Amino acid sequence: MSNETSKTMPSTRLRQTSAGEVTVDIRTPDLEINFGPQHPATHGVMRVLMRTDGELVTGAQPHLGYLHRCAEKIGENVEWLQYLPYTDRYDYLASMNNNLGYSLAVEALLGIEIPRRATLIRIICAELNRIGSHLVAFGTYGLDIGAFTPFLYCFREREWMMALFEKICGARLTYSYIRIGGVFNDAPPGWFEEVARFCDVFDEKWKEYVDLLLVNQIYVKRTAKVGVISREMALDFGLTGTMLRGSGIDWDLRRDMPYMCYGEIWRDGAFKIPVARGEMGELGDCWDRSWVRVMEMIESIKIVRWCLDHMVDGPVIGELPKTLKVPAGEAYVGIENPRGELGHYVVSDGGKVSIRTRVRGPSFCNLAVLEDTLPGALVGDAVAIIGSTDIVVGETDR
Amino acid sequence: MDFQGIFDRLTAIRAPGLVRADEPRKPDPKDKKDKGRAGDPFVLVEPGQLASFVRACRDDDRLHFELLVDLTATDPSKDAADLWINVQLLSLKFRHRLAIKALLPKSAASLPSLVPVYRASQWHERECAEMFGITFVGHPDPRNILLPDDWVGYPLRKDYEFPKEYHGISCE
Repeated sequence: MSNETSKTMPSTRLRQTSAGEVTVDIRTPDLEINFGPQHPATHGVMRVLMRTDGELVTGAQPHLGYLHRCAEKIGENVEWLQYLPYTDRYDYLASMNNNLGYSLAVEALLGIEIPRRATLIRIICAELNRIGSHLVAFGTYGLDIGAFTPFLYCFREREWMMALFEKICGARLTYSYIRIGGVFNDAPPGWFEEVARFCDVFDEKWKEYVDLLLVNQIYVKRTAKVGVISREMALDFGLTGTMLRGSGIDWDLRRDMPYMCYGEIWRDGAFKIPVARGEMGELGDCWDRSWVRVMEMIESIKIVRWCLDHMVDGPVIGELPKTLKVPAGEAYVGIENPRGELGHYVVSDGGKVSIRTRVRGPSFCNLAVLEDTLPGALVGDAVAIIGSTDIVVGETDR
Repeated sequence: MDFQGIFDRLTAIRAPGLVRADEPRKPDPKDKKDKGRAGDPFVLVEPGQLASFVRACRDDDRLHFELLVDLTATDPSKDAADLWINVQLLSLKFRHRLAIKALLPKSAASLPSLVPVYRASQWHERECAEMFGITFVGHPDPRNILLPDDWVGYPLRKDYEFPKEYHGISCE
């Protein structure tokens, strides 16, 4: 272009060629935008430093740590049983599952048997909590991209789920109900019947979410072919849970590495593992991930039903000393949380306090993929992509 | 494949840096001081060759560890000479796990980064670096991840001293 320029126009962007033609250079310098930390679509306090060229994202750098509460350090300073309430606080939308993961890890070191009734109650609570967590993920995802109403429908069912938990343990969000050795107390009279009623009602209600949001054309246009994560990328970044199944990889710890009595439930054919097929766009896009979440809720209902049908009588917690001493050793236990594999790596030297309590939060690992999926997307789609990873900042930062 | 099978395979393919297997055992009834070891079996690996070891684990067609689930470190005690590097690998194809441990001397806490093998380890390594003061040589983005950039000390080391104040905010 410089060869043709005969004279420079007053504005540096305008140039006139020898033929008298005026050209305009509309390139703009890349703009750095702070997305967050107080942005509603980050679901907490997370900051993404985005570099944009007009409407196009050219670079993204997530900054974490705004909600870092030193959970792992606390684990080295309190007794085994005292740590349990802290597990509630990392993924606060799936506290039951966190309690379960930590309890299973400590039990792996203790080598104790859990009463059958406690195991079944644990599964019911974990699966109900999975439904609640996916309802928030799905509802707020709609909210992120501009659909307000489905969110209210999702929270209607979640309210009932939380009321159920309130009846069994007294808390609505941070339960500390699943304890090392079993569960805190037995279900109150009529609780199982109410869970069965919840299942029946939910079986009808989930169709509303599909009609309202999942197959809604506006929603499909916003999410299909957006934020595609290929199989190779998913494996390379160590994604787990819905993110992995959303990329078309058939993997679920409940079936493939069964813990508690999930193996038995699977062999009974009570539930299936929904795996995305790229129906609306490309395999591994945002729509696939939300589809997996909705389908998983239905499977969770089936698991809950199986447990209700096979419920037995008996104790709900084993005999444990008040001050727990855990045998020396180390164990890693990963369970299928709503967001992926929640791993607890615990090390004991035989004392009252752990040497190391490592929490492998699924959100933390799933978030790393943003550095690769955001560049090339439009700024408007950035919210859709971040929302579809379904992060809980309490867990990324721990 | 169970742990023994994985270990035999690792020995057969001469996985670089493999030292030995460590399996849980019951306490010795004759020795009262022996507490035994509970939990999971793991393999012990030379830290300098950890990256090539996990590469061998990933690329071998009978092990096929396509997922790095976790990478973390442990400071066993104040007086210990070594830090532990703990890696968890997972094979989706064969449905088996492998726990790897490498003993890293505190005096020279540095090892090659695993990022060229698994991108998943990128953030885990950043966390290890800030919490334990471990240097991952060749890491593409060695910034702090959870802590502020100006944080002093390595919080998850057992000899860490809690700060009295941070930017004029009293912590006592």
